[in-house]
Amino acid sequence: MKKIIEVKNLTKQYKELKAIDNLSFDVVEGEIFGLLGPNGSGKSTTINCILQLLSFESGSIKVFGKEMMPDSYDIKQKIGVVFQEVAVFDELTVYENIDYFCGLYIKDKKLRKEYVQYAIDLVGLNDFVKFQPKKLSGGLLRRLNIACGIAHKPKLIILDEPTVAVDPQSRNNILEGIKKLRDDGATIIYTTHYMEEVEILCDRIMILDKGKILASGKIDELKQLANIEEKITVEVNDITKEQLSKMSKLKNVEDVSFNQPNLVVTYKKGNNNIVKFMDYLNKEKITYTKIFSERPTLNDVFLELTGKDLRD
Amino acid sequence: MIIFKTFLKVLNKCKFPLILYTTILVFVCGFNMQTSENSLSFVESRPDILIINQDEEKGITKNLVEYIKENSKIKKIKDNEQARDDALFYRDVNYIIYIPKGYREDFLNGMNPEIKIKSTNDYQASYADMILKRYLKVANTYQSMEKNENRLIEKVNKTLSKKTKVELTTKKDTDSIEKMSFYYKFLNYSILAGSIYVICLILSSFHEEKIKKRITISSISYKKHNQVLLLSNLLLSLVVWMIYVVLSIVLCGKIVFTSYGLICIMNSLIFTLCSLTIAFLISTLVNNKNAINGIINVVALGSSFLCGAFVPLEFLPKSVLKFAHILPSYWYINTNEMIKDMEVMNINTIQGILLNMGILIIFSIIFIILANMVTKKKLKSN
Repeated sequence: MKKIIEVKNLTKQYKELKAIDNLSFDVVEGEIFGLLGPNGSGKSTTINCILQLLSFESGSIKVFGKEMMPDSYDIKQKIGVVFQEVAVFDELTVYENIDYFCGLYIKDKKLRKEYVQYAIDLVGLNDFVKFQPKKLSGGLLRRLNIACGIAHKPKLIILDEPTVAVDPQSRNNILEGIKKLRDDGATIIYTTHYMEEVEILCDRIMILDKGKILASGKIDELKQLANIEEKITVEVNDITKEQLSKMSKLKNVEDVSFNQPNLVVTYKKGNNNIVKFMDYLNKEKITYTKIFSERPTLNDVFLELTGKDLRD
Repeated sequence: MIIFKTFLKVLNKCKFPLILYTTILVFVCGFNMQTSENSLSFVESRPDILIINQDEEKGITKNLVEYIKENSKIKKIKDNEQARDDALFYRDVNYIIYIPKGYREDFLNGMNPEIKIKSTNDYQASYADMILKRYLKVANTYQSMEKNENRLIEKVNKTLSKKTKVELTTKKDTDSIEKMSFYYKFLNYSILAGSIYVICLILSSFHEEKIKKRITISSISYKKHNQVLLLSNLLLSLVVWMIYVVLSIVLCGKIVFTSYGLICIMNSLIFTLCSLTIAFLISTLVNNKNAINGIINVVALGSSFLCGAFVPLEFLPKSVLKFAHILPSYWYINTNEMIKDMEVMNINTIQGILLNMGILIIFSIIFIILANMVTKKKLKSN
């Protein structure tokens, strides 16, 4: 597989704070690469370093096999970026905005017209081309932001939390659009906080925290990293502290938590855990209305790796 | 091309202040031109005089009254002192001459009788005073030599009949130059509040941090992008300046094509370019459109008031004028004032104007250097 991005030993420091600490990773052609991490983990700094918007202390960044420099305009020609913040002109219409940002890459007027129409179709803004950004809803604005970033049909697309504060319909439209871009041959770096999006979209994931890689690989590979094997959720009417304490001492049980009416029991390993637990509940005469078992989610892995402490 | 086209589209959305301040300029200057008077030719002025003659209207007394009548407008006021004082107060008359009883006889006897007067003490009164004194001087001179009253009157009339032909030596059309000067002085406000405001708005849109980021990561160099943007602004300034020059031709007429007019045009061009550099500096310092509105209001109104765009420079206090020296508008307006007061145009009289233009160019260079310094500092901190 051809490497589109090669980052080696990247280190970026803000005075005392090490924002990126000896980071190395690759992004290969045609994949959607998920970049995960809590706030301040170094995701945006990494992206800004790749784009040469930030200088860095040490390390090297190669994009499309060439050393990335601030004046690497031939490389920049093949990159499209959608920042978290909507970056459009308030004075221009939807069409004019996409046309302007596409025009920074594509000089040919006829080709540009074609590309702009492709971007409008992709994000579903056909009915709003003459609208000014101020008259668009939050979801439509996000879609316009994406269209401005990808209109020139880049081979590498970097999307920095493009679905923040977006309604479910728009989110679905955006995710479908991203899949289509990948299917059309683009390589995508995707940063988000929404784990379900990552599970739907990404082929490979890298979890960052405090500028360091905590884990990277395919989703299944990451799930195996988690200590949790199985999670059983039971809907109970009431339960005593003694009963909870007794449960936590059961074989293979990792953790027990109760948040009325849900009792969640996590198992490290073992077979037929749900059957054994149902027998235990009957034996202890604990009545329940619902019971189900699930495998650990990416969210569980993320929380386990990055911790449950609140971040800024 | 896409950058220039986008510049024009953004301009189209921000054009209102430009139209507004151009309309204000046309309205104010048009009104000013309607109220101005023509002073190209010399017209002899006649003061309003009231003569109270208590003597017989005979001989030298009659001759004196006739001479005054010939050289002034004789007014008739009610025959009481209160009415005369009121007439003086309200400027219905400028001068009252009281010829006492027995004046003729006393004069012919060489007693030099006193003629009482009352005056408004203005320039018309001075002129009336001059007429009376002139007659009395001539009459007194001949009285000592000629004892025959008829011959005395004849000689006095002959001497006084000699008139000096007054011709204006200067070909300067003062009135038109004054109108033009007013237009170009007021232009200071229109350029700062209109075109510079619009340029700041356009630049602030392009310099918005998130837009700047998008441009930086694109395949066009940010430097090249900025160069196109600066050229677009320069072009806009020149087009707006040309419109203002055409408007000055419409409002002020042929005077614009004289050397005085050409200096005004040249001066306004340099000021337009200097203002453009002010716009660059403001837009590098501030990106918030509301803040720009406030700053431009302070800059445009402040420098127009302090530097004499609205009020003539001679009416401004010395301390204000001293402060105004640090503002480019002062040097621009000062040139317009110099043009207005200039009698003859030659290398000596034009030196001051050239100096003012030079100072405006120095201001422009300073603003460009400051704008560059701010940009570099911002880039470093980013």
